Amino acid sequence: MSFLPAPLEPVRPAILRDVAPVTRLVVAAAWLLVAFVGVDPRVPAVLLAAGVGALVAMSGLPLRASVRRMAPLVIAAAGLAVLTLVVHPSRSDPAAATLVDLGLFRVTVAAASAALALALRLALIAVASLLVFGPSDPTTFADSLVQQWRVPDRFAYGTLAALRVAPYLAADWSSTRAVRRLRGIEARGPVASLQVAGARMLTLLVSAVRRGERMALAMDARGFDAGRRRTHFRVIRLGRRDALVLGAGIAVALVALIVGALP
Amino acid sequence: MSTSPSPVATPAGGVISLARWRTVDIVVVAVVAVAFGVVFWAWNYVWSALDPVFAAFKPAEYLISGVWLMPAVIAPLVVRRPGAAIFAEIVAASVSALLGSVWGLDVLLSGLAQGLGAEIVFALFIYRAWGLPVAAIAGAGAAIGMALHDIPIYYPPSGGYDMGFYVPVVIAMLVSGIVVAGVGGHYLVRALARAGVLRAFPSGA
Repeated sequence: MSFLPAPLEPVRPAILRDVAPVTRLVVAAAWLLVAFVGVDPRVPAVLLAAGVGALVAMSGLPLRASVRRMAPLVIAAAGLAVLTLVVHPSRSDPAAATLVDLGLFRVTVAAASAALALALRLALIAVASLLVFGPSDPTTFADSLVQQWRVPDRFAYGTLAALRVAPYLAADWSSTRAVRRLRGIEARGPVASLQVAGARMLTLLVSAVRRGERMALAMDARGFDAGRRRTHFRVIRLGRRDALVLGAGIAVALVALIVGALP
Repeated sequence: MSTSPSPVATPAGGVISLARWRTVDIVVVAVVAVAFGVVFWAWNYVWSALDPVFAAFKPAEYLISGVWLMPAVIAPLVVRRPGAAIFAEIVAASVSALLGSVWGLDVLLSGLAQGLGAEIVFALFIYRAWGLPVAAIAGAGAAIGMALHDIPIYYPPSGGYDMGFYVPVVIAMLVSGIVVAGVGGHYLVRALARAGVLRAFPSGA
C-alpha cells in the first residue's frame, strides 16, 4: 500500500532498549562530533567498530534487516570516496607518496586516507542512526524528549500525532500519480516533469493541511490545549543503565581521539 | 506552557496573537512537514538514481536540492509563527530518522541547519513580511544552511576540495533554494489559499 518501509524494531531484549532515547542521542552526538573533528581515518574506524559491536550485542535489532537498510548508504559512501580520490590535490603533486599507479590514474596515500576517513564517517552516521532510533518507538522518544529535555509537550505530542498520518500521505502521493496516469497526462521531458511534481505536491499539501486541521479540531475537543500542566502516563527515569551507557559511550569517544592522535 | 487560558480557534480574519502557537498551527505544520518527509523519501530514490548521471559534474546535482528546503519556506508562509521554519524542517527530518533511514542523525542535523537558515531570514523581517521577495530570500537562507551542513560533512577541505568545486556547488544550492523552495514555495502556498484550505490561518484569511 505504502512505499514507506516499516520501522526497524528490536526483536530481543537489549540494554539499549532500556535506556532513555536521549541517552542514546547524547552518546551518538558525541561520537559524530569526535568523528568529524578527527582528520585521521583511525578516529571514525574505532567509533565504527564500537558502533557495530553495540549494534550486534546491545541493540536487539534484527541484524539482517539492519544490514539491508545500510545498502543505499554504502553506495553513496563509495561514490563520495571515489570523488575524493579524483579531486584530491595531492594527485597533481609529483612528490606525494603513491599508493597505486594505474597509469592514467594515480592514487596517492593522502587521497586514499582522506577517502577512507570520509567513507568511515558516513558508515558511522548509519550505524549511529540505527543505534539511536532503532531500539525504541517514536512514542518513547517523544516521552523522553518531554520528560528529560523539557521539550514543550504540545509540540512533541502534536508531532507524534502528525507522524501517524505518514502512511496515509504516502498513499496520497502514490495515488496522485495513479490518477494522472489514468487521465493520460503523464510527464514528457524535464520541464513537464517539474510541473507535474509541483501539481502532485499541491494535491498532497491540500490533503495534509485538511488532515491536520481535522486532527487539531479533534485534539482541541479533547482538551489538548487546556493550558494545564500535563502529568506523564509513561514515566521515563534516568537510571544506572543510562549512566553505564553514557560512561561507556564517552570512554569510546576518548579512546578514538587518543588512537587518532597516535603517531 | 501558557498560564492564561488559550484562545479558541479564531474565525478567519479575527485577531490572533502572532507569538502563541495554537493546536491547529502545531498540527498543520507537523502534518505538512510529515508530507514533505514522505516526499523526501521518494525524492531520495530520484537523487540516488541521478547520482551516477551527475558524477561527472557534482554541482549540477544541487540544482534540484531545493526540494529539501521547501518545508522551511512553506510552513512559515502558512502559519506565520516564529519558529515555524525550524520546527517544520526538524519534523520532516525526523520522519526519515524514525522510519529507520540510515542517514537519520545526519538528516536531523541538516534539517536543523536548513530550518535555521530560513528562520533567520523571517526573523530579520520581524515576522511581518510574507511575500514573494521574502520567500525567495528565505529559500536562499535555507540554501546557505544546507551549504554549511553539506560541505564540512560530505566535501571537507581535508578531502582536497577547492574553490573550483565549492563555488559552483554553493551557486547551484542558492539558485535551487531561491527558485524551487522560495518562488515555488510561495506559489504553492498561494495555490493552497486559493484551494480554500488555509482559512484557519492568517495566510488564507
